[in-house]
Amino acid sequence: MKVLVAVKRVIDYNVKVRVKADNTGVDLTNVKMAMNPFCEIAVEEAVRLKEKGVATEIVVVSIGPKTSQEQIRTALALGADRGIQIETDEEVQSLDAAKLLKAVVDKEQPQLVILGKQSIDSDNNQTGQMLAALAGMGQGTFASEVVVDGDKVNVTREVDGGLVTVGLKLPAVVTTDLRLNEPRYASLPNIMKAKKKPLESVSPADLGVTLSPRLTTLKVEEPPKRAGGIKVGSVSELVEKLKNEAKVI
Amino acid sequence: MAKDPIGFTLSAVNKFAGSTWVDKLGLRKPAEKIAYYSTRTGFQVINTANDRFQKARQLIPIRLSREEKLSSPLFDLSLTEEQQLICDSLNQFAREILRPQASSIDEYGILPDEIREQARALGLVEAVIPEVLGGYASKPACVTSTLIAERLAWGDMGIALALLGNMSTASALVRWGTPDQQQRWLPTLLNHPQANATIASNEPRVLFTPNQLTTTLTPSENGYKLSGLKCAVPMAEDADIFLVTAQTPNGRTHVAIVDAALKGISIARDNGMGVRGAQLCEARFEQVEIDESNLLGTADFNYQDYTDLASLALCGLAIGTCQAVLDYVIPYCNERYAFGEPISHRQSVAFIIANMGIELESMRLLTQRAASRYDQKLPSHREIYLARVLCAEKAMEIATQGVQLLGGHGFIKEHPVEHWYRDLRIVASLYSGLHA
Repeated sequence: MKVLVAVKRVIDYNVKVRVKADNTGVDLTNVKMAMNPFCEIAVEEAVRLKEKGVATEIVVVSIGPKTSQEQIRTALALGADRGIQIETDEEVQSLDAAKLLKAVVDKEQPQLVILGKQSIDSDNNQTGQMLAALAGMGQGTFASEVVVDGDKVNVTREVDGGLVTVGLKLPAVVTTDLRLNEPRYASLPNIMKAKKKPLESVSPADLGVTLSPRLTTLKVEEPPKRAGGIKVGSVSELVEKLKNEAKVI
Repeated sequence: MAKDPIGFTLSAVNKFAGSTWVDKLGLRKPAEKIAYYSTRTGFQVINTANDRFQKARQLIPIRLSREEKLSSPLFDLSLTEEQQLICDSLNQFAREILRPQASSIDEYGILPDEIREQARALGLVEAVIPEVLGGYASKPACVTSTLIAERLAWGDMGIALALLGNMSTASALVRWGTPDQQQRWLPTLLNHPQANATIASNEPRVLFTPNQLTTTLTPSENGYKLSGLKCAVPMAEDADIFLVTAQTPNGRTHVAIVDAALKGISIARDNGMGVRGAQLCEARFEQVEIDESNLLGTADFNYQDYTDLASLALCGLAIGTCQAVLDYVIPYCNERYAFGEPISHRQSVAFIIANMGIELESMRLLTQRAASRYDQKLPSHREIYLARVLCAEKAMEIATQGVQLLGGHGFIKEHPVEHWYRDLRIVASLYSGLHA
């Protein structure tokens, strides 16, 4: 079974994000970039499926500038077999990403597509769902467990009220939640092996997709600074403040 | 005369041709010739230059462009993609596995087996063993090894020292070991999850230098007898293999590969103030019988390289822990308020941090340059020595400043700087420290 995993290059989650002075976006100069954590979970799940003998080949795809090859290499170092980079310097919004991935799905014909549920930069939580719709596949989003059973995959989903398990006919799209697995550290030998794994680069035009952003970012702002806490003298004062200042009771 | 280049030249040449001393020296004819030719060619050169300039001016502004990647390897110390991936992976490992346990390991001086197992999964040993011997290395990479030491030491220097034993031993066997030695020891290091190798180089005596050892190799009937006392041996209690430096009566220094099961080896814990995760020990060797096949390498063994590589590893460890100090004090000083503002607003605080940053970067650059020269087979002994002296000095300084910047918080165990302070003292103590 072939598994396709999509990974996104984002600002490293350990980095404190700074907003550009003119509020047009986030400052990316000299900022450490890394693979989106949910995508890491997606790669790890695919690698585990391969270790179990369920998956035979893992293809990892990323959309972005040339530097996003680094994230593909990371995925290869974690155990993926082959990389496809869709190179573009343009802004790629969810629908465009889904269209590009759909084109890759048509070409590669994977049985399972695993994506992160959302990327930590734009937090849209859309690409997986859009891809499933465009490709006409079933979708299991927010997965906390993925079990492939013959030509079906059972996905346990984390929803507000608890857990829902859906059975999907393959091919299917799965998006990962935080508790699906804990990604491994890339071992040094695997990093060395990754260098020899194939990585192909294509452009959106090669895939017959024209990028058409539909959203314009009007303004990016830092969250308001938290004001310092205060000590209250008594319970009644606390209740009074909760009622009148915080207005929570 | 007009003040343009041609004007200046003409006036100078004419002055020369017209001056009286030219006549006195009998230079009148040649001088006039010079005036004539130089003026003529001068005009030609300047006019051609002007033409070219005119042409160029019509296009774009002319600048000398900086290349994105310098072609000279000497000054390009940017990491390769592979090195970057290794650093990323080890950073994560150090942050998520080593850091959270560092303080309890420091307190009890015991490195849990699970950390060693998790580290084994990283494949440090495989990374230095060539493919034909079961590893994945394609070429010796001193820069990469130094980076590995650095990133692990960011998590905890003691644990890093403990974890590097197997890798360093494997690396020495690959570099100098005879085929028999490689066949005998490398599979153990690769395949046995519990196998531990360690390096015994330091000796507890005044003015110790790795070039004059009191540990001796005395020729005997069956080979050699190894005797002497080594100190600061990481993980010696659990070691299966020791690499012991020792001198023969004729003054030649060897590295003996000693099986821990041999008779005459006794180990005692060497409780020190720092790197307690490494479980440093004293190892006493009394008439340990070994033979020629236990001496690392043959004629091609290079003891100076052996000590140089150890120095580089030590530099890597120092840089990693110093980086940890710097990464800790910056947010602390930005967030710690005194007199109504962050203490980093005070120059006496800000300048210290700036200096720490500059010193750390110079430690890193000197070390990586030395390692890179070693990898390129360029002379590197001097560079490695410089790196080591700088690292030994500045590591202690950065450690002290780290504690100082935290004020009272630097003294208590709630913050890790006192732990790093104790760890970093060892950089100036091992391998004869500042005095070699």
